[in-house]
Amino acid sequence: MRRAGLTLAALLLLVLTSAAGLAATRGNAKADDAMRGGKDDEPESELVAEGEDLFLTSCAACHGAGGVGTDQGPTLIGVGAAAADFQLSTGRMPLTNPDELPQSKRPAFPDDEIDALVAYVASLGDGPAIPDPTDPPGDLVEGGQLYLLNCQACHSAAGNGGALSSGRNAPTLHGASEVQIAEAMRTGPGPMPVFGPDTLSDQQVNDIVRYVRYLDDPADPGGFSLGRVGPVTEGLVALLFGLVVLAFLCRWIEPKEKESS
Amino acid sequence: MSDPARDALAAIERRAVRHVGIAFGVSALASIGLAVTYWTGGQVQVEGSLLAISLGALGVGFVLVARRLLPQGPYTEERDVLPSTDTEVEAFETDLERGEGWLTRRGFIVRMLGAAAAALGVAALFPIRSLGPNPGRTLFHTKWRRGSLVVDEQGNAVTVDTLDVGGVLTVFPEGHLEVEDSQTLLIRVSDDSVVTRSGREDWAPEGYVAYSKVCTHAGCPVGLYQQDVKELLCPCHQSTFDVVDGARPIFGPATRSLPQLPLTVDDDGQLRAQDDYDEPVGPGFWNRGR
Amino acid sequence: MIVKRLARWFDDRLGASGFARTALNKVFPDHWSFMLGEIAMYSFVILIITGVYLTFFFTPGTREVVYNGSYEPLQGVTMSEAYESVVRISFDVRAGLVMRQIHHWAALLFIAAIIAHLMRIFFTGAFRRPREINWMIGVSMFLLALGNGFTGYSLPDDQLSGTGLRIAYSVALSIPVVGTWITFLIWGGEFPGTEAITRFFVIHILIIPALLAILLTAHLVILVRQKHTQFAGPGRTDRNVVGAHLWPTFMAKTVGLFFLTFGVLAALGGLAQINPIWLWGPFEPAAVSSGSQPDWYLGWLEGSLRLLPHWEIRAFGFEIPNPFFSGVLLPSVTFGVIYAWPFLEARFTKDRAEHHVLDRPRDRPVRTAIGVAVLTFYVVLFAAGANDVLASRFDLSVNQVTWVLRGMVLVLPVVAALLAYRLCRELAALKPEPTMVTLERTASGGFVEAEVEVEAEASS
Repeated sequence: MRRAGLTLAALLLLVLTSAAGLAATRGNAKADDAMRGGKDDEPESELVAEGEDLFLTSCAACHGAGGVGTDQGPTLIGVGAAAADFQLSTGRMPLTNPDELPQSKRPAFPDDEIDALVAYVASLGDGPAIPDPTDPPGDLVEGGQLYLLNCQACHSAAGNGGALSSGRNAPTLHGASEVQIAEAMRTGPGPMPVFGPDTLSDQQVNDIVRYVRYLDDPADPGGFSLGRVGPVTEGLVALLFGLVVLAFLCRWIEPKEKESS
Repeated sequence: MSDPARDALAAIERRAVRHVGIAFGVSALASIGLAVTYWTGGQVQVEGSLLAISLGALGVGFVLVARRLLPQGPYTEERDVLPSTDTEVEAFETDLERGEGWLTRRGFIVRMLGAAAAALGVAALFPIRSLGPNPGRTLFHTKWRRGSLVVDEQGNAVTVDTLDVGGVLTVFPEGHLEVEDSQTLLIRVSDDSVVTRSGREDWAPEGYVAYSKVCTHAGCPVGLYQQDVKELLCPCHQSTFDVVDGARPIFGPATRSLPQLPLTVDDDGQLRAQDDYDEPVGPGFWNRGR
Repeated sequence: MIVKRLARWFDDRLGASGFARTALNKVFPDHWSFMLGEIAMYSFVILIITGVYLTFFFTPGTREVVYNGSYEPLQGVTMSEAYESVVRISFDVRAGLVMRQIHHWAALLFIAAIIAHLMRIFFTGAFRRPREINWMIGVSMFLLALGNGFTGYSLPDDQLSGTGLRIAYSVALSIPVVGTWITFLIWGGEFPGTEAITRFFVIHILIIPALLAILLTAHLVILVRQKHTQFAGPGRTDRNVVGAHLWPTFMAKTVGLFFLTFGVLAALGGLAQINPIWLWGPFEPAAVSSGSQPDWYLGWLEGSLRLLPHWEIRAFGFEIPNPFFSGVLLPSVTFGVIYAWPFLEARFTKDRAEHHVLDRPRDRPVRTAIGVAVLTFYVVLFAAGANDVLASRFDLSVNQVTWVLRGMVLVLPVVAALLAYRLCRELAALKPEPTMVTLERTASGGFVEAEVEVEAEASS
């Protein structure tokens, strides 16, 4: 009897944990970017409530209950959905060690939890909503010109990123999604300036997003791109694959001195 | 030489000849391929590869010929004594003396010739003057004037609503887009007026502060604004400027703050300059302080 | 048969058979490191071949045009005709891009080979009497090559090279008294002006190549007159040259080297993308990219500009700005010392004799140590020129990298010099002395071994 009861309990435990596990993994498949911004089947208030629960466990320690801020983390009131979505979907937040710099990494939450947190943060005050940078579609040429004017100073002409002061880096733009690029422009995360709607219009943001995505796989008619870093890598290649190779060829033409015959 | 040795040598030679033939043959084929590639529209990687094979195989062929088929030596050649014999040098000096001696006896002619040459030389330098204008006071002023409308790089007027706090924009005086010395970085540091230095109390209305974008070190555009620490970083040599403290340099080789453009807001909410910069913008030069 | 008839035809008119015989029989010593100068020379030839081709397509001007070629992201963009012509060469001229890339790789290799050749000359003491003149001609060609590289990659008027031009302008501006005049005369006024590209074009395709051709000819003529140096070895003395004849063996090897050099450059030109100016964009005076560097051979100058702390001299309203010390003074001292080195060493060692046998670096530990120290100094400067790329790539603070390099540039050369000196001493101590066994006939008719130490006549 006792053994049967234990077995039943174990079985129940197994079923419950499996169900929980399944529920947790269900949202892991990366949802299509364009559809981000809220689950269709969950009413707004439930999403916000779910978000608040997640917030209290994962975020309030630094950002305070209600997002009012503490000395460990800034206030989130009025930052808007775009900021929260950017920080969470790029894995910058949650920041486990506030003394370290936020880095882009694998997101800590699955998509549906991110949606919930975003809904909650958005509910704290008015702020930029999650943009849709594919509608209207961006113009590649305009985007390129705007990128060179506004973005390459930090992110480099090829979108590789660049060094900032005191160990910070403007990150590489390769691999960023359209939404993330637009969100970053509108919300100015970390050292990045804010490009608001009166600075860059929605069309201009979409143009830049189009060009940045182009930089993921630009035309490289010349051959191996060498990372598009510029003269530093080109110089190394010239020395290693040019001079050193030729020096070895010289050794072949004229081997080490032989004794006179 | 014994027959086996001679046969072995002949075999080595035949093999070398064969290898050289292969090298030149490969080169020929690659060249034909190159011509075909070009004729059919061309492709960069194919062109480069075939050219490399064509040239490289030629090179290999020549080297094989040199190493395996041509006489190796070593041969010896004696060096001449480099300096000429004393007799020759004296004879040279005597011949030189024919003209040189005459010159030393005609000091007056030499001096007049010197004067003519010097004068012609100086006169000949004058066309260089046509290469460019007198620097004058050009480096001391930009195109900003009192009342200049602040416009972005498309020529649109900048108003108090253009930038969010933390926003940045490259601006010019109206009518002088893309004039290098007038490029200015407009930064919205806050919602309220900012005092960056004493005496500049009304220079940054509504939190809009404007600095010359031309780095005071070597002239690169100081394009990296880090809005969290309010610092400007120049990407060329990493000079760093404190935006809240009048763009004072806090790292790197720059020795001077970025000049600040005094701003004002007109009745339509547009930003205008109160005046030109109060000092020359950009890198230093000899008489900058005068 | 034909060759003989031709030879006879020319000789009837020029009487040059004697001269030609001397030339064909010239002996060239063989060591692979003697080919480094040839690599430089052949790179120069390849630069001329590809460069002439490019001049048929390049438009040297700043007049604004609208792009209408096949590179989509620039469609309809206004740009200078210089930039437009280079984008057109890259995308719409068949074989244009491969020619352009070979040309640029050849420029990088040209200077790399010059420096390797210079180092070989230095570390083997080949600059000593009677070769001081050729040393100075060589250093002059080095300077001219640097100038041609810089003017050359500035011609496309792209964002990256334009940034470099602005820095060059500011460095020239910093020259005391005449700086503003020099820049206003060269550029025709304030930066960027409309004249620089056209003037640099003339300098790049005519003035410097002509000077290089003249100096190269003089360099080779002097080399032939003085005969090449050689390392110590069996049968080699200070009064002879041992090696292969010019014709046919040396000629075959050197022609082979030319084709191999061209082949390597063609491979790079087709397979490794270099200077994608379409990505950098046309030059805009108010724009700049992070991670901007000059071509590699100017990296030391860039590093100097980045490392020097914010020092400058100001008095009575006059100033000598910071870039003067890092951008003018350092290279002037550098090249001044390089030019003067044969005379400095001769005075210091009190050795003014003729030398035709080369030193092994280990036999001259002081010279080698000094050379290693100077080399280390410039290698650190090269690294400093890429400090932001290093910081970004390896996730470091560019500020810390800069400080570390400031320390290294002072400390590492000394450390390297001491290590090099030690290494030389130890290697020299290892050298086995070559012995030759001489058999002597005794009076009674037998043979006796007499061991004789043969030390090849090395320099003192």
